Amino acid sequence: MTAPRPYALLAEITYRCPLHCPYCSNPVVVLNRTLEGEAPATPGRVGSREFAPPYRNAELTTNEWKRVIREAAALGVLQIGFSGGEPLARRDLGELIRAAREANLYTNLITSGIGFHHDRVRGLRDAGLDSIQLSFQSDESSLADEIAGARAHECKLEVAAKIREARIPLSLNFVIHRRNIERLPQMIALTEALGAERVELANVQFYGWAFRNRAALLPTREQVDRARDIATAAKARLAGKIDIFYVLPDYYETRPKPCLNGWGQRYLTVNAVGDVLPCPTASSAIPHMRFENIRTRDLDWIWRESESFNRFRGTEWMPEPCRSCPQREIDFGGCRCQAALLTGHSANTDPVCELSPNRARVDAILHDINSSGDRARDWIYRINPSHWLVVSPQRPKASRSGSVRR
Amino acid sequence: MGTTTIPDSAEPRLAEGVRLQTDPVTGKSVLLYPEGIVELNETAHEILARCDGRTLAEIVHALAEEYDAEIDALAADARDTLSDLQRRKLVELG
Repeated sequence: MTAPRPYALLAEITYRCPLHCPYCSNPVVVLNRTLEGEAPATPGRVGSREFAPPYRNAELTTNEWKRVIREAAALGVLQIGFSGGEPLARRDLGELIRAAREANLYTNLITSGIGFHHDRVRGLRDAGLDSIQLSFQSDESSLADEIAGARAHECKLEVAAKIREARIPLSLNFVIHRRNIERLPQMIALTEALGAERVELANVQFYGWAFRNRAALLPTREQVDRARDIATAAKARLAGKIDIFYVLPDYYETRPKPCLNGWGQRYLTVNAVGDVLPCPTASSAIPHMRFENIRTRDLDWIWRESESFNRFRGTEWMPEPCRSCPQREIDFGGCRCQAALLTGHSANTDPVCELSPNRARVDAILHDINSSGDRARDWIYRINPSHWLVVSPQRPKASRSGSVRR
Repeated sequence: MGTTTIPDSAEPRLAEGVRLQTDPVTGKSVLLYPEGIVELNETAHEILARCDGRTLAEIVHALAEEYDAEIDALAADARDTLSDLQRRKLVELG
């Protein structure tokens, strides 16, 4: 079918991050492309030997990203989001922002703020950065730092002030889950205090690390109902002052989210190692799908012609009950990644939908959370690809290794 | 907010972080802002292209001359457009 034009590119320029948030949507496994070919960068053995991937070398180079940016603009992309991982971990970020502005793209930086020194804020502004989305884990240090798995909160407060000082438009982002959902009023108050123009109160979506940590993160129905009321009231109170975007906790909905406004319709993601994805979580959620890489194909061909981008375009691919559903052009059958993760098949109706034959799976998950008396469950903190401790026979001590967190 | 009329002396300008540019695919004017895009109709484009420190009265006057249009209708259109964009925080009134 004919491909529409994309509007926005998400550039996940690195998977390195100083934080360890258990709700991260980054893949828990990243494919490494090394001189020796492809190897999964999970700890342990690959084939007959242990493998030490030089992960940093697998990231796209500055020139490769510049090419991606030019090709995206030529395709019709108008906006680029630099994300990760933590995009500040790449020293060429300013150069990439400059390249994006030269291509007439609107540039967003999606950051934890860690390592954002004063000079760098101004440097990125001078490079043409249009806006910044700064993440927070909660409204105060003790809980926020526990969630981040790092001492981060105080630093973020300082960074927010520096961003305002540099007069760069600021959005805040809070990922909401069972451990911090009670702090919603305080998060909104923090947004006001920091002078942000916009805040995303995003209930956690279960992909990547969040999927693995779901039992510890999923809020109860009572919490969700209360949070919705608080968000609605704040939206009305702050109208015209702060834009509040409340992202629904979709397991508690009866119809699925219109994921990406349809697969391969408006958005594309290029990840740290150059894979081009219709959705940032697709590479981990739909492991059997083959995604093209920017090192072997140009972006135009991948967007228009590749099997992965065409697989779920339009409505032809839909099974029942989506195929004959009047909502099919509204919610597009929901999320392909969620269908894959919860039902094992990416072409199924998103099981969040009450019409899905698999809705019982979501109900069972909700029942488990809402009926369990003891809900305190541990989560696993996200670890960085470079911390995926691997030992090569040539190098008995992996160079960056050792520091298994805490 | 919705009912107050924008005064003639207001100096409308794009809000911080909002960019006006041409979409190379469609040739139409768009506003780009944090994580959003608005396609503008011709009226909106003509008004915003003149939001450079001029007052609303000056903008309307310039448009009326250029398009030989009736000034009251034009002023009403301009007010509607600007208050809509102001509500969406894309335009500020100085």
